[in-house]
Amino acid sequence: MKGVGEPTDFQAAAAATATAAAAATAGCAAAKAHGETPADVENCETDQDWNVGNCGFMDTDWQQKIRSNSAAEDITQFPLYAWVNVTKDFHNACSELVPGELAQDMLFGLFEAMSAIEIMDPKMDVGMGFDKYDLPPPSFEAAVTMGAIKLDDLTSAELIGIFDALFACVVSWLEGNSMDQVLFTCLYLHAPSKIKDKALRVFCTSVRNLIVIIKNIIVTAGVNEEEDFQLYGNSALLAAEKAQPSAITGLLKEVEDELVRKCKQLTAPEDLMAVVHRLRFMRHLYQAIYQVELLSVAESAEEGVNEIYKSLNVAAELLPLIRRTIDRGTQPVEGSDTPNPMGFSPRIHDRSQPPTFPRSIKIRERPASFQFLEEMVGRFKYACKVIRHRDYYSALNFFIEYSRKSGQCILSRSFLQNLFTTGIRLVHGKQSMKQFLKYSVQIFNSPPVLNPKHPVANDPKVQQHLDTFFRYCINMNTFTQFIRICGFNRARQRDKLARLIENFDTIQVDAARLDSLMNLMANERALEGNELHATALKHSTHFSTWVLYNCFRAMLIFLMSGFELELYAVHEFLYIYWYPYEFLVGFLVSALTRTENILLAQEEYAEHQSKIQVNGGGGGAGKNRKPAKPKKNKKQQRPYRQEIVYYHALLSLCGGMYKAMGALTKDGRIRLPTSKFDNEEIRYNRRFSPFVPLTSPPPVSYAEFKNIRDHMMRPSVEELYAFAAKHFDQARNVLESMQNPEQEMLDLLQIARTNFVVMNVLAQGHQKGLKRQPEFDFSRHSYFPIIKLK
Amino acid sequence: MTERIEAKISVEDEKASIDSESEIIESSKNDELMKEGTQSIPQIDYSDFREESQLLSVKGLIDRELSEPYSIYTYRYFIYTWPHLCFFARHGDKYVGVIVCKLEPHGGLKRGYIAMLAVDGAYRRLKIGTTLTEKAIDTMVLGEADEIVLETELTNRPALRLYDSLGFIREKRLKRYYLNGADALRLKLFLKEPIYEEEDVD
Repeated sequence: MKGVGEPTDFQAAAAATATAAAAATAGCAAAKAHGETPADVENCETDQDWNVGNCGFMDTDWQQKIRSNSAAEDITQFPLYAWVNVTKDFHNACSELVPGELAQDMLFGLFEAMSAIEIMDPKMDVGMGFDKYDLPPPSFEAAVTMGAIKLDDLTSAELIGIFDALFACVVSWLEGNSMDQVLFTCLYLHAPSKIKDKALRVFCTSVRNLIVIIKNIIVTAGVNEEEDFQLYGNSALLAAEKAQPSAITGLLKEVEDELVRKCKQLTAPEDLMAVVHRLRFMRHLYQAIYQVELLSVAESAEEGVNEIYKSLNVAAELLPLIRRTIDRGTQPVEGSDTPNPMGFSPRIHDRSQPPTFPRSIKIRERPASFQFLEEMVGRFKYACKVIRHRDYYSALNFFIEYSRKSGQCILSRSFLQNLFTTGIRLVHGKQSMKQFLKYSVQIFNSPPVLNPKHPVANDPKVQQHLDTFFRYCINMNTFTQFIRICGFNRARQRDKLARLIENFDTIQVDAARLDSLMNLMANERALEGNELHATALKHSTHFSTWVLYNCFRAMLIFLMSGFELELYAVHEFLYIYWYPYEFLVGFLVSALTRTENILLAQEEYAEHQSKIQVNGGGGGAGKNRKPAKPKKNKKQQRPYRQEIVYYHALLSLCGGMYKAMGALTKDGRIRLPTSKFDNEEIRYNRRFSPFVPLTSPPPVSYAEFKNIRDHMMRPSVEELYAFAAKHFDQARNVLESMQNPEQEMLDLLQIARTNFVVMNVLAQGHQKGLKRQPEFDFSRHSYFPIIKLK
Repeated sequence: MTERIEAKISVEDEKASIDSESEIIESSKNDELMKEGTQSIPQIDYSDFREESQLLSVKGLIDRELSEPYSIYTYRYFIYTWPHLCFFARHGDKYVGVIVCKLEPHGGLKRGYIAMLAVDGAYRRLKIGTTLTEKAIDTMVLGEADEIVLETELTNRPALRLYDSLGFIREKRLKRYYLNGADALRLKLFLKEPIYEEEDVD
């Protein structure tokens, strides 16, 4: 609290470091506190003088001791702590303070103030959720003794109820809730080995093992943030029984078979079959997830992923059967926070939670949970396709697409990261990342120096330069980082992209250096009379084009993600759409066009060469030869056609939005900041600040932007609307020309059409007297809104 | 688990101005002043923090209007450390609006932070929120603030509109930021030209 702004008349000092919180569980000395603090703090530990060190909050040993005890019992052990009543001393001390004055500890700051809990405040005090007459939440042993949970002879309905509730808990855990507050509210999970019913025992053991594997997968992928997933839970509980991951599928299969045999003897086996389906679903889901972990020791990525895919398929087929039989299980009591009548003790860990305000925990309902699982299995299946993408360009595309569709689910994102990294390692061998990147550039624009068939690839000097460049790429981590970033949640991606873009600058410089070295060597070789090598090295822009292209993409995603995250105010749309329209999309198109031209020229040259000269066999590893193959395919000459068309559409849409915003602003239909504090130049500079460190493209100053905008806005409002309409019309034409368009293209088409009409309507002077700000509806596409007049 | 170190903010909940986006721009001033048509415009007085009894009014107002709970220590932390950055709006004897801020060095800059802003539900659309914020920013500018930061709920349209109009930009989306699971936006008002951005530690 030694803030600079601290006034001299500051009389108060804050008090009683989080006394309230600590008192709730432990009972700790209250420092001098003003009457505002809960007067309930009557009993304090006084067997030694109070200091920061022995406050329960500071002492981790003490904290652990408290938490490891079954929480409910602490308070009942009153005599153990030799509590002494200090009420009188306390009130005496208080009388020395003036109203509002606080006794403050040096270490008491905002963090402590915010963490302090006011006892009896329903928003802060977890205990307020309890009724005075509530019994402490039962533990596993207590529930067994009371006869509240059955360990044997469970009916099918009871089993289904427990299984479904546990699936709901798994889903709620994956949605970011604490393991203790969802999964371990199930008492059966505390001690599965004590359960006599085999189906229940095996199921609960599977859930425990599944928890461990899922945690491993998420930790290995490393794309989780605190808001996505809580890694920590009651590890003592989890460790109580040994994990046996490899035994689980066998155990599940065994109990399944037993129950199926039983079913055959029943006249109405439907209920029991529903139990079997759940066990079977668990087995296949478990198997799929477990295999992801095992992939790291697999020999062939394809085989492993095929196995995973098979398991997922079976799991997906079982889900509709399970969803149809939800009502065969016991159902949660309406209004209760218990996910199932038997086996759960929702408040059991309330007192062992970190001493912060209670977060609202809502366990998903069963139908919604199974829907989540169904979608998740679908996402997993889709993720399996990543192993087909063995070069950077197509892998990055896959990741960008996957993030757009599955960005919300932490396990799906981690699943993909794991498959991809093991896949790369298995395909590209020891120096996997370097090989992968080399291979990727070769696929992207096929520099002759990377073609193992080409004699120039064996030139030691060339090899040395290439080696330096790719080692640098790996050290800078820029490319791999881009793919990893796509694994984070959408909100975090933006910050990380901003930093990534900066990193591209050094790689750009290095790639340009490599290209110019190649050109220099071309001259040397030409002088030596080595025409073949000279031609292969001449006019190289391969490496810088590759780097620039990826940098432009990162820039575009960064800029447009602001729409999806609702970071732009309407009055900012103008400069945001302006930049891709004026520069960025054009850069992307020219990078791709240049690449296609290079490929085409090489193709022609190769054909020409093969006619006049018998091909001298080049060395190189056998594996790396494969990529040369697709080049022979005529279609490959224009591999980026579709993407270029897409960017053309994007260009027109950005142009349309830019001019529409210009027209609407000039027309007085956009609310502009009116405050003396507003400064458009500062806002503009902030929005484009991640691009500033880049040499290429060079940063565009606010003054330049302003000039261009002023020029754009010179025509009359009607003309401006008409210009915007024209852009939307162009976008429509481009999009309509696409063959077999994907849903995204159809959505963009709809946006272009609608906005075309709206702009025309405004150009004709509709609603002239009524200057309302239109609505910008981004529900069709996250980058572009439908403009709606009201 | 990282604790939420900084306070949260929320102004004027959704119901405050239904359909506010569709408002006619040119007459918006009148709209906001002529509350419920017939009622005359109440006389609102503004003042800064003077003494302890006001603290309870602040607490009452904020507890009523904001979703996040704050312990009494949080109020004291802000109000007694930066009493000159706490402003009230009063209608007669009734406290109808409050803003609570701080101003501290932060990574080489001087950062102002708007911790809480609340306006009584019955006194919305009288520019009370705007006036309070402007007073606070003015004072922070005198204190040489480089930037002013705050968080607000993503769905709180009226608050976002207020800050948009003051020139704030929405810098970051914070997922599941609030106790109720809602997303937040971090907003920033830059009062000086950008120096190279320091890492933001959330």
